[in-house]
Amino acid sequence: MLLELIDVTIHYDTAEAVSGVSLVVEEGSVVGIIGSNGAGKSTLLRAISGLVRPTSGDILFDGKRINDLKPHEIVKLGVVQVPEDHRHFPHMSVMANLRLGAYLRKDKVEVQADLDNIFEHFPKLKARRNQKAGTLSGGELEMLVIGRGLMAKPRLLLLDEPSLGLSPIIIDELGQVIADINRQGVTVLLVEQNAGLVTEVTNRGYVLEVGKVVLEGNINELMSNQSVQRAFIGG
Amino acid sequence: MNSRLYKAIGWLTLLVILCLVPLFMKQNYVLHVLITIGVGVVLANSLRFVFLTGQLSLGHGAMVSLGAYFSSLTVMNLGLSFWLALPLAGVFAMIVSFFTGYLFTRLKGFYFAMVTMFLTMVVQLVAEQWRGLTGGVGGLTNIPPPNAIGALGFDSKADFYYLMLAIAVISLLIMYLLEFSRLGLTLTSVRDSEALAASVGVNTRFYKVLAFGLGGFFAGVVGSFYCHYYSAVSPSSFTFMLSIDVLVFMVVGGRHRFVGPILGAVVLTVIPELGRGMKEYEPFIYAAVLLLIIVFLPRGLISLPEQVRILLRRGTSPSERAASAITRGSHRA
Amino acid sequence: MYVQDLLNGLTSAGIYILIALGLTLILGIVGIVQMAHGEMYMVGAYVVYLFSMSMGLPYFAALVISIILVGCLGIVVERLFLRRFRGDVEGAIICTTAFILVLQTAVKGIAGPSYKDIASPVEGVVEVFGARLSWEEIVIILVSAVLVVALLVSIKWTKPGQAMMAISEDLVGATLQGINVDRLSSIAMFIGCGLAAAAGGLIGATFSLEPFMGGFALTQGITVIILGGLGSVPGAIIGGLILGLIDGLLTPQVSPTIASIVGLVIVILILLFRPKGLLGYE
Repeated sequence: MLLELIDVTIHYDTAEAVSGVSLVVEEGSVVGIIGSNGAGKSTLLRAISGLVRPTSGDILFDGKRINDLKPHEIVKLGVVQVPEDHRHFPHMSVMANLRLGAYLRKDKVEVQADLDNIFEHFPKLKARRNQKAGTLSGGELEMLVIGRGLMAKPRLLLLDEPSLGLSPIIIDELGQVIADINRQGVTVLLVEQNAGLVTEVTNRGYVLEVGKVVLEGNINELMSNQSVQRAFIGG
Repeated sequence: MNSRLYKAIGWLTLLVILCLVPLFMKQNYVLHVLITIGVGVVLANSLRFVFLTGQLSLGHGAMVSLGAYFSSLTVMNLGLSFWLALPLAGVFAMIVSFFTGYLFTRLKGFYFAMVTMFLTMVVQLVAEQWRGLTGGVGGLTNIPPPNAIGALGFDSKADFYYLMLAIAVISLLIMYLLEFSRLGLTLTSVRDSEALAASVGVNTRFYKVLAFGLGGFFAGVVGSFYCHYYSAVSPSSFTFMLSIDVLVFMVVGGRHRFVGPILGAVVLTVIPELGRGMKEYEPFIYAAVLLLIIVFLPRGLISLPEQVRILLRRGTSPSERAASAITRGSHRA
Repeated sequence: MYVQDLLNGLTSAGIYILIALGLTLILGIVGIVQMAHGEMYMVGAYVVYLFSMSMGLPYFAALVISIILVGCLGIVVERLFLRRFRGDVEGAIICTTAFILVLQTAVKGIAGPSYKDIASPVEGVVEVFGARLSWEEIVIILVSAVLVVALLVSIKWTKPGQAMMAISEDLVGATLQGINVDRLSSIAMFIGCGLAAAAGGLIGATFSLEPFMGGFALTQGITVIILGGLGSVPGAIIGGLILGLIDGLLTPQVSPTIASIVGLVIVILILLFRPKGLLGYE
């Protein structure tokens, strides 16, 4: 098991944002977490990345407890988060954004190779590599932040609502990209409200409602479930 | 309900005691310290009133200064009665606050703190340079005491003491009533979540400016009292360090509670008075007290009982604090 | 004669920029306003005095020692205190103000309240384009230019430099790239306080030292970064140049005080139209 959450509860200030969530992500798989706004999806990812600490429960990566590690130590293990809102460094160049993804890596030659690889994958980014990241369109930005995540050479990539604000065509493209990444051996945990993207790329999923896992299992079965459909309309 | 009644009785008893103090304490020194505390209390609470909307102002020094110069100049040059000049000084500071607040409330957090601190620097510099009006660096001297009214002739410290007491009681009462009215609720909703407040139709900018202006009013009133009490005013009386002293009162006492700033002003005015013997190292001790409180009691002295209770139950781990620091940082403007 | 004023202005600008760069870096990366920045400048000047006048080291060696020592003092302060106040405006201001008192009292206690003078490292004047410029001023302009360029280059071309920019743009985003924010806060404090010490050491060769000289530095530094944009490195440089040139070009025409008023009026006008300063991000 690459990632395992056991009975994780998280408080924000005093309010409970996530209560007793357990989930597993197998190496090589793409797992989805589905839920409406405020269901606690992002909080869960923040906890895995070490930005917030669970009040109780365990987060295991590769069998090792990572609850008490600092965010940079978690990145070093290969758990890399692509944050929501295509969060990027707007006043730095596209190139500088990508290189920051490789901040912890010391293998300069391979970093350069990975950079070339990403430019090959996303020719639009290559054309704009010296532009400020803030000038990119929404779709380009998402490619940029995913590319930045890949530059860290992740074992597990956490994607927080990558489809947010993107057009259906771009979302299709995004699905391709995620599938490609997975094929190269990267495990993906995808948090989404967009049902289409989740069914396209994931095998297994969890449905989160007000901080609790209410359903889990095969993604197609989940999607045909009534309460899931309600959750998406609610979002 | 009962605890409310006890509280009211407690406050009234305190007020009666404070009224009787001059009858028993004839030393001017004690009265002077009490007056200084009164000035601190009103300023710290008015700063907290601005802070209800989540904005930290370091412009309080400027507002006190404006009130002081306005009052002394209108009394000395225009022959205005002190009793008119006092509220007008507050109004004048309030108008300036409204105007500058309108400009500055677009900024948040450190940005707002810095530009308001800059405002204090500007007012000080103008007061130093506009020699014709303000007397320059030397400032204004021989400012007359308030005109006699009733039994108060203002020829003794006790009379100034009663005036300060009246100003403090009235100001605190107004601020208390405002804070626990609908207005106060709106102000704190702006602080807690500006986006949420805006989404339910609250004009957040308006309320920020309003709070900043009302805070400025009380600062102006205190400025007026100050210059007639000392019978002198100069630019160096109101540097940005005054703004910071007031901030210290508020935070050390407890910025989240109404009584916090009162407690802070009392404790931090009395401590240096006690340490008069060690003049050389007084700032050192003061700084040490500040650091200790800000590190171990971030919610102020008022939270001491609560903190002790928590400590007895369990200690907070450093990692928890680090994590919350990162989350807090993400709310930065 | 304008060349003369211009060069005088550049001298002030050099000092202002060194102070403001530190303030702005610390604001952007440590996430606090360093109120005791003027005291780092003051301590920097006193350390130069200690090593060059009391211990007889060459001036420039003393300057380097001062930059390193005060930088390390910055790290200690950051580790023990500032770290916990990230994003806490009130706490940070009170904490760093307490350090103003601590450092002032300490220096006053150790060195005494009287004025101290550092002997000038280079004597004499040179003629440049008909202007008579003292070597002291040339040293200030050159050293500050070298330090500013070194800082800009290391921000642009080193990993820690890029990490600092990332933190000042988006703290959480930077954390998610594996950047150790605490470590970089220490580095930023080292650089910021070191630059303040450099400014103090440089000014010490032309003016006398006293324990309360830091207030002026803080005032000017804050004016500069408000003008240029809080947290912006190029903003600090441009703001420092503008304020320094106003000093240099206006002071001989009018009076130093009028010049500083003009400076403030310009800042206020800019704030009216661009509340976040010239290069601040909206």
